[in-house]
Amino acid sequence: MKLVVFEDDQYDRFLPLTWVRPVGELRCGATTLTEKIARAVGSPPDALLVRDYLAPVVAARWRPTPVNDLSHLAGQEVLFVNARVHATGWNPPSERVAYWHGERLAAWRTTGDVRTIRDYAGLVAAARQAPRADFGGPWFEFIWDVMLTSPEEIARDFQAAGRTGIHGRMHESAVVFGPRERLYVAPGAEIHPFVCIDTRHGPVTIAEDCEVHPFTRIEGPCYVGRGTLLLGAKVREGCSIGPMCRVGGEVEESIIHGYSNKYHDGFLGHAYVGEWVNLGALTTNSDLKNDYTTVSVPLNGRPVDTGSTKVGSFIGDHVKTSIGTLLNTGTIIGTMAVLVATGAPLPKYIPPFAWFLNGVVTKGFGLTQLLATARTAMSRRKVEMTAEDETLLRHVFALTQKERAEYIEKGRRQLAAHR
Amino acid sequence: MANENILQRVIQVTARVLGLDPSTIKPTDNFVFDLGAESTQSVELVAAFEQEFGIEMDQDAALAVQTVGGAADFIAKYLS
Repeated sequence: MKLVVFEDDQYDRFLPLTWVRPVGELRCGATTLTEKIARAVGSPPDALLVRDYLAPVVAARWRPTPVNDLSHLAGQEVLFVNARVHATGWNPPSERVAYWHGERLAAWRTTGDVRTIRDYAGLVAAARQAPRADFGGPWFEFIWDVMLTSPEEIARDFQAAGRTGIHGRMHESAVVFGPRERLYVAPGAEIHPFVCIDTRHGPVTIAEDCEVHPFTRIEGPCYVGRGTLLLGAKVREGCSIGPMCRVGGEVEESIIHGYSNKYHDGFLGHAYVGEWVNLGALTTNSDLKNDYTTVSVPLNGRPVDTGSTKVGSFIGDHVKTSIGTLLNTGTIIGTMAVLVATGAPLPKYIPPFAWFLNGVVTKGFGLTQLLATARTAMSRRKVEMTAEDETLLRHVFALTQKERAEYIEKGRRQLAAHR
Repeated sequence: MANENILQRVIQVTARVLGLDPSTIKPTDNFVFDLGAESTQSVELVAAFEQEFGIEMDQDAALAVQTVGGAADFIAKYLS
């Protein structure tokens, strides 16, 4: 049986992270949604179906796995699985039935001819011909579901990985507070003096080549990805960080994708941060309202009640914040936005590629300068921005132009009104 | 719109954004080296010019303009 992982047409429920990645590449715990599906099925995907503009970047990452091309699956039995299926503990269906979560295809096992399917619309059209059943399994509805589920997934991923013990270097004054079998320190990782790793409430993974600097406290469940530096940080429970991140200050129940920095003091809680983000010193987000009511998140222009009282910020790839930036509960910061602090919490939505300056959204220095800054930031970590990366960012810039222009116009009116 | 009129409005906007006395601003003044504009103020200036003149400028080209007089000429081209 062949596995195809696909994303449906509600990728916008997972913004801003899904501007530059398919839903299946969102991380929850230590693994991505696609990796969890592969684990449940028992084999890696044989193909992926993603939005057209993501295909070149995804294909480069997944080579040689075909993307948006199922021609090699002729004559095979194929299991299609929506990346939004929460696959931990899920049993893939054995019957050749199309399973639906409302109007969204969740999974479909078929021996039919799938060669011509190139996108979700084509997949749905084909699946509608099949016997239908309701998908009753766990499902990620919105981006905050991924964030809120991450702590328990860290523990499940630790168990699934089956690795334990200290295989790196750990200074004699570093302490494991709790069961030692809940700690895995990979080869090449280094735990400095006066570090406390608290495994009483969950397991901790410190991956290859990490450095944990003195006076860092890590509470499990926690996953620290390859090459990450923890710099005297207070890593509270439920964090998934890395690879190649620099983290200081306080972090709680947050997901931080690779190559992002929160080097200095400041609190980040119940947040989801993309790649290549730099959070300036004392950038802080709120994750709890003063009246303890549930947090709403502005999604597609309207507030959506998360149903949770603990929701922080969702920060897109390549975002930069200035020192002292304050983010409200349930904030969305679009891809490659630049935020300059005002001393007050910022608006809950900043569009992609915009500059928030002097209290209003502006064009800032424009796309050329933003891309140049991104290339510089990437080169500092010895990573080159590929032509596919740049094309992707330019495409998202174009996709979000109209919305950004509306916010910029509103910003101009606000500036004029204050004269 | 006469270029002298555009220049005077550019001077007024520059004075407002940078907190300067407009009578001290000359067309040959460089925004950064003579008038002390910080990088973020360059962004503010472009936004303020766009608001003042009701135009949408190419960001890269606008940010390459270095002097007050150069800004007036640049804006005049948009208006013509």
